[in-house]
Amino acid sequence: MASSLSPECTPLKTQYDACFNSWFEGYLEPAVAASSTKNRQEYSKRKAEEEYKACVQKAVKDSGLESTLQQARDEHPLKSPPPPDPSSLEQGKKH
Amino acid sequence: MHIFSQLFQYEHPWSHVVIGMWRKYPNPKCTHVVSVDVIDRSVDPETGIIRTERILGCKQKAPRWVVKLFGGSEDAFVREVCFVDPATQDANITSVNLSLSQFATCYEVVRYTPAGPHRTNFSQTAEVQARTRLWQTAANGLEKWLVQRFEQNAQLGKTAFTDVLRALWEERHGHLQAAAA
Repeated sequence: MASSLSPECTPLKTQYDACFNSWFEGYLEPAVAASSTKNRQEYSKRKAEEEYKACVQKAVKDSGLESTLQQARDEHPLKSPPPPDPSSLEQGKKH
Repeated sequence: MHIFSQLFQYEHPWSHVVIGMWRKYPNPKCTHVVSVDVIDRSVDPETGIIRTERILGCKQKAPRWVVKLFGGSEDAFVREVCFVDPATQDANITSVNLSLSQFATCYEVVRYTPAGPHRTNFSQTAEVQARTRLWQTAANGLEKWLVQRFEQNAQLGKTAFTDVLRALWEERHGHLQAAAA
């Protein structure tokens, strides 16, 4: 997994990524990843997410990215998926 | 504005492509991406769409004139927002540069959609746009500053030469008067 922008967040990020990735596989393909440890994973994902989030928020602040990030969010909130692109839909229909 | 676009098909099912998406970096072929951070992630309880907001840290040498002109550095950051919709099998990733964004923006949209059970369409478009209105403001400011500077120098030049002439001729007149006396 790629490292965090702040080395101190990398261990938390690795843990969080691992939790998310296994959850994600189950989310997309429930039959494949019907693991018995699902509940435990979901719990640890929560905890890992909170710790990592706190660390990375500080790292973003320390890197001086806060204001440019806010500006980017104001300009393009991207709160919901953009409308489908007609050309890619047509491409999909061909197959 | 400059536009870039490409279409491609991966020989993998859609679900495998989007699972692999989170494991793309670090990658020996894309060594410029050095960090990836999830800064926000949520699952829409109604649609099931996962929204992920990330910051990618890149190290890439910019041309010297760019660094000189804009004060850029080797570190550049990109904001990426990704939507994965398992119900309609659609993944949409939008990225915008955070670094140097006051001068120009690179707005990239990537989309993964199924092309049958074993293949996935990949489409990528990017729009690179200089913020011309800001350029205009900067250019106007530069012009104003240059005019002021020119006026100041012209004023100084005028008084400086006046001093030279006065000194030269007063001295000569002085000599002449002394000789006549």
